[in-house]
Amino acid sequence: MSNAGKKRNSQLSEIWRRYKKNKAAMVGLVILVIILFLAVFADLIVPYSKCIDQIGAERLQGPSLKHFFGTDEYGRDLFARVIHGSRYSLFIGVATSLMALVIGAVLGASAGYFGGVVDTVICRIIDVFMCVPPILLSLAVVAALGTSMRNLIIAITVSCIPGNVRLIRSLVLTVAEQDYVEAARSYGTSHARIIFRYVLPNAMGPIIVNTTMAISDMILSAAGLSFIGMGIQPPSPEWGALLSSAQQYMFTSPYLLLFPGMFIMLSSLSFNLVGDGLTDALDPKLKD
Amino acid sequence: MVKFVVKRLLYMIPVLLGVAFLVFAILSLTPGDPGTIILGITAKPEDIASLNAQLGYDRPFFIRFFNYIGDIIFHFDLGTSYQSREPVIDSILARFPNTLKLTIFSMSVSSVIGISLGILSAVRQYSVLDHVCVITALIFACIPGFWLGLMLLMLFSLKLGWLPPYGAGSLRHFILPTITVSMTSAAGLLRLTRSAMLETIRQEYIRTAKAKGASEKRIIVRHALRNAMIPVITTLGTSFGASLGGAIIAETVFAMPGMGTLITTAIRQKDIPTVMGATLFLATLFSLIILIVDLLYAFIDPRIKAKYRNGGKSHE
Amino acid sequence: MVLKIENLSVSYETDIEVVHAVNDISFSIEKGETLGLVGETGAGKTTTALSIMGLLPERTARVRSGRIEFQENDLLALSEREMQHIRGDKISMIFQDPMTALNPVLTVGEQIAEALILHNTDGYTQKEIEARVEETLELVGIPKERKKDYPYQFSGGMRQRVVIAIALVCNPDLLIADEPTTALDVTIQAQILSMICDLQRKYGTSVIMITHDLGVVAETCDKVGIIYAGEMVEYGTLYDIFEGDEHHPYTVGLFGSIPNLKENARRLHPIEGLMPDPTNLPEGCSFSPRCKRCMEICMKKKPAVYENNGHQIRCHLYDAGMQKAVSENRKEAGEDGR
Repeated sequence: MSNAGKKRNSQLSEIWRRYKKNKAAMVGLVILVIILFLAVFADLIVPYSKCIDQIGAERLQGPSLKHFFGTDEYGRDLFARVIHGSRYSLFIGVATSLMALVIGAVLGASAGYFGGVVDTVICRIIDVFMCVPPILLSLAVVAALGTSMRNLIIAITVSCIPGNVRLIRSLVLTVAEQDYVEAARSYGTSHARIIFRYVLPNAMGPIIVNTTMAISDMILSAAGLSFIGMGIQPPSPEWGALLSSAQQYMFTSPYLLLFPGMFIMLSSLSFNLVGDGLTDALDPKLKD
Repeated sequence: MVKFVVKRLLYMIPVLLGVAFLVFAILSLTPGDPGTIILGITAKPEDIASLNAQLGYDRPFFIRFFNYIGDIIFHFDLGTSYQSREPVIDSILARFPNTLKLTIFSMSVSSVIGISLGILSAVRQYSVLDHVCVITALIFACIPGFWLGLMLLMLFSLKLGWLPPYGAGSLRHFILPTITVSMTSAAGLLRLTRSAMLETIRQEYIRTAKAKGASEKRIIVRHALRNAMIPVITTLGTSFGASLGGAIIAETVFAMPGMGTLITTAIRQKDIPTVMGATLFLATLFSLIILIVDLLYAFIDPRIKAKYRNGGKSHE
Repeated sequence: MVLKIENLSVSYETDIEVVHAVNDISFSIEKGETLGLVGETGAGKTTTALSIMGLLPERTARVRSGRIEFQENDLLALSEREMQHIRGDKISMIFQDPMTALNPVLTVGEQIAEALILHNTDGYTQKEIEARVEETLELVGIPKERKKDYPYQFSGGMRQRVVIAIALVCNPDLLIADEPTTALDVTIQAQILSMICDLQRKYGTSVIMITHDLGVVAETCDKVGIIYAGEMVEYGTLYDIFEGDEHHPYTVGLFGSIPNLKENARRLHPIEGLMPDPTNLPEGCSFSPRCKRCMEICMKKKPAVYENNGHQIRCHLYDAGMQKAVSENRKEAGEDGR
């Protein structure tokens, strides 16, 4: 056991060694850590009350020392709202990607490993889902369930499941065809042991990378849906929602648009860079 | 080949029925009945009940579904809007051209930019051009489309006054929305094309071609391009879906009367028939695009073509 | 003299490390002759071949020294455009893995014709080119009707025939065959080898046969070079290598590693250890860490080439004043089953 643990550690340190070499990936990681820090310690950085306090005398003021990012049309501090907004985006991004991953993994792995009728049924259903563009699927779910944080998460997860099922199915199929799996089968290893010991660990790299990249996309989708009023509603300080209400004031107060947009971009960018870095670090073969 | 096309077209029928069922099922989860939504909660319960009966809402789920499908197939009728009491198909046909134009413009712009720069970037790997392309693509892939739209609007319409900010009256109205939608997918296509091209250039048959004495240009054009395009073409369908999605959001930014604004307005008004009709309409269009992409794919890769020709069986 | 290589050294250089792939290799080939280059995987055989073709990876590979003379031209001094005229026309190459060496989206006919079109100095018409493609296909034993087929429709052995057809269609003066049969079944191997030999005899082509299989060498080659860690440790005629008295200890080891039915040996005699790390070669003789007959000098000084009637050996055992050691070496070679 301790031996296995040691092996695992050395593997991780090897991945980390390769990851560190990639400058862009390190930049992404630093941005990601900062944004995570802001989200986790938002209350310590600036109390939530600042997000809701409406100061009538300080409406639509540009960035200043008192209000780093300025104030909105109700005189609320935009800095506080953006910082607390990071919680929504990160939570939604991570939650939807993980949920879509788990559901995708269960369906995709069953389809790929068992094949036959299971595979056919799952594939036909996915074919149908794939014919509806993701945003329409999300909109239909929102239309049926109404707008709320929970429903937004469901809507985005649903739209992202079909792609995951296909990816994981093909990964499992590829790994299951490998000679070492064939070898394991030939000396009578059980299905469960093959799946957990051989198939999953070997398909793990692409799955981790894909999930990281998915978070980046999900953050953009969530912001987009909130922006068109189909996601998180104002007055919640979600970034897309902030942009939606700022739209009216874009000629007089462009900073209202600038800061939330920058944060959406940076958080999406950080996951994307980390994903890219992981691609190379987890699979040195893929490197150019 | 003809047989394959016919087969694929026939397969579309169950898929489209499935899509209709999916959309119908999701939207049937909506709480509340149409009678209440149309007449308001203050209306008399008997009126609401009779309207529900008139709309067929009191029937079981599957009967309603088959009626809906029957109306579509036999009468080209997607139902009646709860709000305007007009046929849904009329408001779709009035707005669809704008969305279609915007999607086609964006797809064309993003394919041209994304694929050509992707190839150039791969061929000149590690050059200044390559670095610029890769970094720009990365940033554009992470900029929310609607935010880019807002920024463009602010700069070119409000500050500089070069282009109209809202509406869909002329082609000039489409310039900013097209840039907005196409940049995100161009970025994705560039990254994909670049990596597909790099992967192809590393293949052994490229070395064989070099050993024959082929020039670099010939190797790229004759040997690498077609192979590298295979993965790119397979994602064109997805990319069309993304452009459609981008168009839906961009319509909100540029207040353009299109399918996106139609759907979002309908959702806000709980106008379920409109949401359902519009969603189904776009999904059908998207399925046809996927079909076309599949056929294109078969055309470019002889292995796939042969597989279809022999009815699923391939050599070796 | 078709090809003459003098003191060729090639390395692969990246930010992290420098791989010394080929170190000071020299050899030459006459018209119609077959030279075998033998060595373990990673010994630098393919790098040597790619240097001749001018196909070394541009970013990392560097020719540190040496000269490659082909028909009175210094290939290393030619421009890329001039090399393109030679590649495929005067010198062509057969690659190791036929499964990946053909372009999947072009028909085999198109791929064979391409070499002709690229080097069409005699102004052949489309029709003549097609005729030549068909002729070449028949020559390598593929029915000409199959020129419209795609590579995936062929088996491995048939694909290698196509690769050979591509290499031969322009009647090259030099053919480099890089492990042409390693990826194939034994029966197919024999067919392909005898085909290469027949065609060579027919057209008087010179061949460099790269292999790690001494059996292939015995069947096809006139001269043999044994390569170890990027160095030519022994070079001579087929007779010198297989029947000669004097050998490099590595050659002795190589022969000891293959089974011999005539001898009633209980076991093979593999060479102990692994090839040295090419980023960090030993100071003296590269083989010294594995050599049974290693002496003190071997670990300090690179051995010079000992030559006897064209038979070259790069080993301190043959330094002047080492005759006693040599005779012992002979004795051991005898013990090892020759």
